[in-house]
Amino acid sequence: MRAYILFLFAMMSTRLLLLLYLTGHVFAKKSQDVDCLVVNLDYVSCKWNKTGTPEVNYTFYSKLGNDQWKICNHYLTENNVNIGCNQQVDSGDRFKTFRTRLTNGSENFEKGHELKKQVKLNPPTNLTVLNGSDFNLWFYWNHTSPAPLHCVEGEVRFRTNNNNWDFSKVSAGIQKYCINLPSSSSRYELQVRNRIDDSCGESIFWSDWSEPVVWGSNNSTYSKDLMSPWTPVIYLVGVISFILLAMLLMHHERLRIILVPVVPKPSPFLHNIEDWFQFSKGLKDNFKPDYNERACPVREYNYVSQSDVVSSDGSTCSVTTDQTDCSIEHDPEDLSAPFPSNPVSSEEVQKASV
Amino acid sequence: MKLIVFCLFTIYCCSLVKASPMERKKLQEVLRELKMLKQLMMNTPPKDIEDCCCLTALTCFRETLLQHFGISGKYQKKLYKSLNHTLTISGLNFCNTETSTTNCSTCHSHPKEKASEFFNRLESLVQRVRCVDMKLRSAGR
Repeated sequence: MRAYILFLFAMMSTRLLLLLYLTGHVFAKKSQDVDCLVVNLDYVSCKWNKTGTPEVNYTFYSKLGNDQWKICNHYLTENNVNIGCNQQVDSGDRFKTFRTRLTNGSENFEKGHELKKQVKLNPPTNLTVLNGSDFNLWFYWNHTSPAPLHCVEGEVRFRTNNNNWDFSKVSAGIQKYCINLPSSSSRYELQVRNRIDDSCGESIFWSDWSEPVVWGSNNSTYSKDLMSPWTPVIYLVGVISFILLAMLLMHHERLRIILVPVVPKPSPFLHNIEDWFQFSKGLKDNFKPDYNERACPVREYNYVSQSDVVSSDGSTCSVTTDQTDCSIEHDPEDLSAPFPSNPVSSEEVQKASV
Repeated sequence: MKLIVFCLFTIYCCSLVKASPMERKKLQEVLRELKMLKQLMMNTPPKDIEDCCCLTALTCFRETLLQHFGISGKYQKKLYKSLNHTLTISGLNFCNTETSTTNCSTCHSHPKEKASEFFNRLESLVQRVRCVDMKLRSAGR
């Protein structure tokens, strides 16, 4: 009996605790989390609908630096419930302390914010493209925030012929980008975004990408070079020609000897190098180290018959022996002799004619 | 001879045993000193500095830096010199004296903050000044 009572008591207490736990969740205060973002250094946008649309309408107050608490004058609503507030600020206000307060009757949620890095600029505008005189492609843009130019850094992405995007950082203070020597048959598309530079309190959010700008031909949308239809034909003709030539060389020996002459095989016995070449004996003598060539006068020789010759000294029309023989001895069997044969002296002609 | 070698060996082993706890103690001392430095509290100008009090804040940052870190190190010396430069001072001077009615707080009256917060606030001050448009600043003068 006693055990039964104890068992009942335990069951009851467990159920009561469970009930209290469940109801506790219902009646517990939900703390509202407020997230604030400085938009384009123009205004601060605070929202408290991260966990869903609130059930009640909160009143929003904000306090910047040492100023007084200000009530919101521009609410953002969703289904007639306040979910956020936009408040005008100066560009330098993000360095000040910023506190927010949400109130609804007795509920009061206060929170401090670090706005310095919570900045999101508007995307750049007026993105234009120019084909420069240096044959490069120049892109220019503007930014709309009140931040000075040296505080705004950019990032560019571009693609050629709808391929993958290429990214490139643009230093603070510069609002132009160059693509070197673009191809006239390609299509270039570029977008740019910006944020506050590190030296001015770097923003952790980049702006959205700007509207794209396109340059180039619309027809050439493929990056792969299409093969010419004649290329396989040329390859086929080349292969057939090679096969035919190989067959000709194999079956026609004469053609083979002309196109592919036999390489002379040197004899294993040692010979003079001079014997390898078909020189005449006279020419061979010229290669001897002790060869001494004597200068000789050049004369013309004419053939005159001995009967017509009237000479006082009875000399004949022969070459005098005391004169230097400058002619090269001509071998009638030698086919490679370069010099003409049968020289005739003009002096002999004169002697013959006198 | 054997006895001498044995004695020397014993002394050597004892020195090894002694060295480990000594090193550990020294490292612990380093950690303590590091913790002290991390918790080093310095007079730090507030986040919300009025325009006309920027120069006073700069002076406070500079002198506090000199007092706690000195100028023995390369970057401490460089930073101190830069904070003392005429260009830096003129850059932070955008007070319109005609409308100025605020009294700037003295350096010692500023509450003490940790070193990390000190440097963060100095960084924010310089970044804030860089953000101000030169045209607006000259128009305000």
